[in-house]
Amino acid sequence: MSEEILRVRDVSKTFQVKAGDVTAIDNASFTASRGSVTTIVGPSGSGKTTLLYVIGSLEKPESGQIDVAGSNILDPGTDLVRYRREHVGFVFQFFNLVPTLTALENVILPMDLAGVPAEAQHRRGTELLEKMGVGGRLLKARPNKMSGGENQRVAIARALANDPDVILADEPTGNLDTATGRTVVEILTTLAHVNNKCVLMVTHDESILDLSDRAFHMSDGILSEIDGRD
Amino acid sequence: MRAFQRGFRSFRRNLARNIVVVVLLFVCLTFSMSMLAVKLAADNQVDTIKQQVGNYGEIKISSAYQLKQFEAERTKTAAERQAAARSMTTAQAFANRVANLVPEKLTDQFAKDSYIETYDKVLETNITLSDIANTNIQQLFSIRQGDSGQPGGAGQGGGSSTSNGFMFAGNTNGASASDFTTGAKKLISGKQFTYQDYVNANPVVVIEKNLASQNSLKVGDTIEAQISGASGAKSYIDLKVIGIYETVEAQSGSSSSSSSAQNFNPAGSEFYAPLSVVQKLNATPGYVQLGSYYYGSVDDTAALKVTFKKDTVGTSSKYQFATDLSDYQTIADPLLKAKNTSMIGLAGALGACAVIILLAMVIIVSGRIRELGILKAIGSTDRQVIGQFAFEILCICLVAIILAMGATALIGQSLGNWILPKTTAKTSTSTQAQTQGGPGGAPGAQNKLYKEGGRFTQATSTQKQAAKLNVVYRGSLFLYAILILVGLSLVGMAIPLVWIIRLRPARVLSME
Repeated sequence: MSEEILRVRDVSKTFQVKAGDVTAIDNASFTASRGSVTTIVGPSGSGKTTLLYVIGSLEKPESGQIDVAGSNILDPGTDLVRYRREHVGFVFQFFNLVPTLTALENVILPMDLAGVPAEAQHRRGTELLEKMGVGGRLLKARPNKMSGGENQRVAIARALANDPDVILADEPTGNLDTATGRTVVEILTTLAHVNNKCVLMVTHDESILDLSDRAFHMSDGILSEIDGRD
Repeated sequence: MRAFQRGFRSFRRNLARNIVVVVLLFVCLTFSMSMLAVKLAADNQVDTIKQQVGNYGEIKISSAYQLKQFEAERTKTAAERQAAARSMTTAQAFANRVANLVPEKLTDQFAKDSYIETYDKVLETNITLSDIANTNIQQLFSIRQGDSGQPGGAGQGGGSSTSNGFMFAGNTNGASASDFTTGAKKLISGKQFTYQDYVNANPVVVIEKNLASQNSLKVGDTIEAQISGASGAKSYIDLKVIGIYETVEAQSGSSSSSSSAQNFNPAGSEFYAPLSVVQKLNATPGYVQLGSYYYGSVDDTAALKVTFKKDTVGTSSKYQFATDLSDYQTIADPLLKAKNTSMIGLAGALGACAVIILLAMVIIVSGRIRELGILKAIGSTDRQVIGQFAFEILCICLVAIILAMGATALIGQSLGNWILPKTTAKTSTSTQAQTQGGPGGAPGAQNKLYKEGGRFTQATSTQKQAAKLNVVYRGSLFLYAILILVGLSLVGMAIPLVWIIRLRPARVLSME
């Protein structure tokens, strides 16, 4: 049985807006393991991205517990910057690469922030990008000179830079054509199955559910597992 | 260090946008630095002026008191004056003699003030010397004869017009008389009298070379002088000639004059002797014409006036502490005005720089919000992001200030000339009026200071200096440039700092 790396328990998050309180996450609970791809699907505004950001410590929930690699990240003493550096890697819908940096520089940025020696940064960055199929001249290309698929591959390489336990992918295919999107999901699946990463994807594209090991549906903040999987 | 590298890389990669900010800053910084250079130049020149002018004062009989005396005398008839003179006791005669002099005690007491740096006492008086003739009168007569085409040498012409009255200038040390220190007069043989000569009242004297030549006097000779108002055998003092001087200014002036005026020397009748000897000859021991003082700078004037007021309680209307403050004001005023103008310009330009950098940072940071969110999401601390932006801003400001320093070197002087008020003509006239003033004392001449024989030569040269503002690069300009650089960078950091601290990455990362 694979190791349970992520455990989300009774997490709730509410946003205050002019019209009143909006519950983005309503007592969500689930677990995810190393070597597996977990997908959360649901319509826009259902709260799935918020759940991803809560797990990635970019948002703070009102209640609940999130254990990553055995530690509750919601404990007051948790160093969230270190957590983001060491335990999670983000892949975003709009790639969110730094436009003034090259592909390689974008990948080595998390390592640079973590204080990895320059030589090691360069070596690992090149290795990751080549693994993602963005080697050669593209190493020095800036995001605006690359296609959407290439940008997303660079984003995945960046997410892997510090060798995190969990990859959090927010609509990774949302800005790509079907074929390229499929390729990107396959890369993420490979990362889970071959590199033993825990991949958590949120998407509204249900066509990628067949590549997931576990799938959840989210609607109005309520998370429910989709039967017939696992 | 890595934050700095990222900041520098970001500066290079956003070059076009940063150049726009650099250019805007460059314009304002050039103006700021030029204004600063003008201010520093004005400060420096004012400081130089302060060392030369405005730091001199003298205690003497007030012009108001002299006017009062004069008015009182004027109301008397000649007969009344003669009757008063006949009935005068010795004490009354002495009191009358020193009525227009200052007690040495007062000048000594004032000299104890901590602001006083150098101190001298001066007494000038007319003394009769029975043995020798006054070449001044002789030569003037000779010139008149030469002009009218009459034959005859100087000796012949002046032979019947000699005078035995000579001006004796006494102070505490011959070498410190500024006629000699400024080079207006030069000792050509013998030596100067010393402070010790003054203390011991040694009967020594320094005389002018033409006078010595006309009267066949040389160093070591003795001349007989009569004590004023005295009679009998004890009324004479033998003065030993210890030095001979020439008047440089008069000689250089004569070189371009007619041959008949070749030996004309207006200082021919002037003797320099220890103050105590002159006091004895004038029969006014313990009294001086004035006490002359040099102090640190014009800034000490107010404090010294307070001291003077304390020292002259009860007699303050009789004496005055006259300073060359007005000389200083006349000379330094254009520079001070230029300084004030440059300060206003500097403040305005720096304010504009601050506004530019703030607005630029608002535009820059708002355009890079996503980048900030990414950095935070991938594990950057606030300090790392701030460091990166700080270095980027520092690069922008550094480039702008280096360019501005270069431009300041080109336009600083022109800006200084433009700012300096055009008052040269006015001040020159004022200087001429001052240079004509001799030893103070005449009613209404309270601004004309003796200055130990210097007679405003320093003030005149200083005024020539002040007419032009010399905007030059100096070390302090670089120090101020660094301060401006740091200050501007800190102001520029205010915007990113607030945005970085308040930024919630989750909000910006979902934006399309």
